[in-house]
Amino acid sequence: MKINARLVQRLLPFLSLTILFVALSIASPYFLTANNLASVARQTAVFNTMALGMTIVIVAGGIDLSVGSILGLSGLVGTMALEAGYPIIVGVLVGIAVGTACGFLNGLMITRLRINAFIVTLGTLGIFRGLALIISNGLPVHRIPSGFAFLGEGNLLRVPFVVWLLVICAVVTHFVLENTRLGRYAFAIGSNQTAAIYAGIPVAFHTVAVYAIGGALTGLAGMIEASRLMTGQPTAGLGYELQAIAAVVIGGGSLNGGEGSVVGTLIGAFIMGLLSNGADLLNISNYWQQVIIGSVIILAVTLDEFRKRRAA
Amino acid sequence: MRATPPLCQHTRLELLRFEHIAKRFGGVTALRDGNLTVNQGEVHLLLGENGAGKSTLMKIAAGIVERDSGRMLWKGNEVFFRSPSEAAAVGVGMVHQESLLAPHLSVAENIFLGREERNAFGWVDRGAMAERARRLIEQYGFPLEAEWRVDRLSPAGKQLVEICRAIHHGSSLLIFDEPTSSLSHAETEQVFRIVRDLKARGMGIIYITHRMDELRAIGDRVTVLRDGVTVHTGNLADIPTDRLIAHMVGRDVAAIYEREHLRPGETLLEVRDLCVKKMRLSHISFSLRRGEITGMAGLIGAGRTELCRAIFGIDPIDSGEILIEGRPVSIRSPRDAVKNGIAFVTEDRQVSGLALRLPIGANVTLANTERISPFGILDHKAQNRESEELGRRMRLKAASPAQLAGTLSGGNQQKVVIARWLFRQSRVFLFDEPTRGIDIGAKTEVFELMNELARSGAAILMVSSELPELLQVADRILVMRRGSISGEVPHGATQEQIMRLAVMESAA
Repeated sequence: MKINARLVQRLLPFLSLTILFVALSIASPYFLTANNLASVARQTAVFNTMALGMTIVIVAGGIDLSVGSILGLSGLVGTMALEAGYPIIVGVLVGIAVGTACGFLNGLMITRLRINAFIVTLGTLGIFRGLALIISNGLPVHRIPSGFAFLGEGNLLRVPFVVWLLVICAVVTHFVLENTRLGRYAFAIGSNQTAAIYAGIPVAFHTVAVYAIGGALTGLAGMIEASRLMTGQPTAGLGYELQAIAAVVIGGGSLNGGEGSVVGTLIGAFIMGLLSNGADLLNISNYWQQVIIGSVIILAVTLDEFRKRRAA
Repeated sequence: MRATPPLCQHTRLELLRFEHIAKRFGGVTALRDGNLTVNQGEVHLLLGENGAGKSTLMKIAAGIVERDSGRMLWKGNEVFFRSPSEAAAVGVGMVHQESLLAPHLSVAENIFLGREERNAFGWVDRGAMAERARRLIEQYGFPLEAEWRVDRLSPAGKQLVEICRAIHHGSSLLIFDEPTSSLSHAETEQVFRIVRDLKARGMGIIYITHRMDELRAIGDRVTVLRDGVTVHTGNLADIPTDRLIAHMVGRDVAAIYEREHLRPGETLLEVRDLCVKKMRLSHISFSLRRGEITGMAGLIGAGRTELCRAIFGIDPIDSGEILIEGRPVSIRSPRDAVKNGIAFVTEDRQVSGLALRLPIGANVTLANTERISPFGILDHKAQNRESEELGRRMRLKAASPAQLAGTLSGGNQQKVVIARWLFRQSRVFLFDEPTRGIDIGAKTEVFELMNELARSGAAILMVSSELPELLQVADRILVMRRGSISGEVPHGATQEQIMRLAVMESAA
């Protein structure tokens, strides 16, 4: 009985996702159509990709509030490269590189200046957004080759291309977190930074690496977003950081570090995606959607805390 | 052996009585049959190994947790405390092992915390509070000032503030949870004096301790818990210490740990003229040899931990040299120290030793993850095999390498930390208070591990405030005083010799 109760609690995010899925299938005839599901997949792909990066950062005991701005800046610079006539793959790589550089910068400041990650990334949230607006003069980039739309809207083997991309990113991120030295160090730093330093782990190096990886995934998310909108918006990704953090937290990640998983984060992101899709289908107003999602975040974390307190 | 405690023959008023208290946390039984009676004007010692249920019983008394079954009577009436403030309202106060004070506030503000004095306008009246705090401190002769900020106080000073707070709240029963575990000898004496004074004023005191050497100095009666059951209660004068230990561990343990003393080998670590101004370490020179356990004694604040930190590269050294096997090495970070084969078992496992939310396997391999991750890819099987193997050698009580380190008892956590350095194949071990907060059975095992390390050719520095332990385990003992080494005594020296070196101005 006891074990069952614990198992149920552990699987709670997954169960909630399933229940939500079933409930929406019953409530709306449009929900379980290929079109709608593909559109949910596309919508959540951006958050999902960002949230994967945020998972590593949060596992390592950090936080990156600037991801929304990184998404905007990298999408903008990437599309500017496309506008300048570079091939699509180069443009995407430029976007990823910009994201990586932003994350690298965050990590460098956190470790070198020894300032709290919350403060550093609160600062760069403004800086990166400002840079995007300065570079673009506040205007979106429009002249983009039509082939670029494939990234966000195209299909491969009848499945949205972004889904393939997301699967690859998720598998790689999962592997990095669970099966590499870098992932182990991320967990160790997040669980107890002092103990990690005393064990001789190069903590600063790995902290920077973690933020850079988070930035890279955000850069990719920026290019997906740009492809879906077919513009490079300097204001893209406004407020996305909260969605990414929420996905990680709903999936069992702890803002105290040392806890979090790729599977959990994906479930968290899909729960939020389904909630907003379901609300759209059921004609629930946008205003209420925000209330619902906010409540879900609090509920999820409360249940998770409850589970941990009982386990302790 | 379990019996209802004998009623006190004196006419002292009974304060608190526990009868058959039981408490479970999830699947874990913390208490099965807790019995204890404490009267006015007595110091009642509560003994037991870690996990015996002492803290749980006291938390029930202080209203921090609620009992599942059994009766708790306050002055003869059954009571339920649903919160610490309900317990405080009838007069139960607790001095916590880890200070629960507000660090940025003053001594006076902490004493009055939650019960601030207000003036006619309903504002907090700082002047009146400071004045009343000053009178309270004076009355008991505490070495405190009402204006001092609490985070600048020593651990002993913080405890005094907690005691003041309890007195001010009108407590008639005061619970001390291992008050002296982080105190120096002089500070311990000070706490004893205060406890005796409170007793003389008619207060009842429950006193939890792990230090068998201090029992007789203050205790009147004693209760021993084992596995959540009261196994003995009675007058302290009626029972010898080795019987008490036998009650605690449930078997007879040789009171003294005997170890063979080896002939030391060549010098492994040498420190020459080391100075760290910020930490007030000046001109420290000594060496550690293979196969030797070098003890290090001194008062709290003498600079023993600071010395370990400097050698381990945590605090930068201003001048001096560190040599490993005769070669000078540059140690600028713990990473450098680890690479040079130095291991640091810190005094606070939970803060600086273990990643509590990670499994044992990850903790054991943490200082040498490279060994189980060729090309950066973790080999989980190798990790678990190696940590299981080490765990067996160290008699680690754990379900599997996947168990979280935070769920282990203090002694087993310490074994995980030591296992980490064994896995790293370190050769110079700095043990800072290796037996703090672990029970007697585990202490012996830790000493045995240190002995084994020495025999396998490691050089060991053992910092400890427990003089009897140092005298039993160490081959020689260095004594520190005010940031320098004030002397060295051989194995077989007396506590008095060490204390003299620790407290006296240099004789020369």
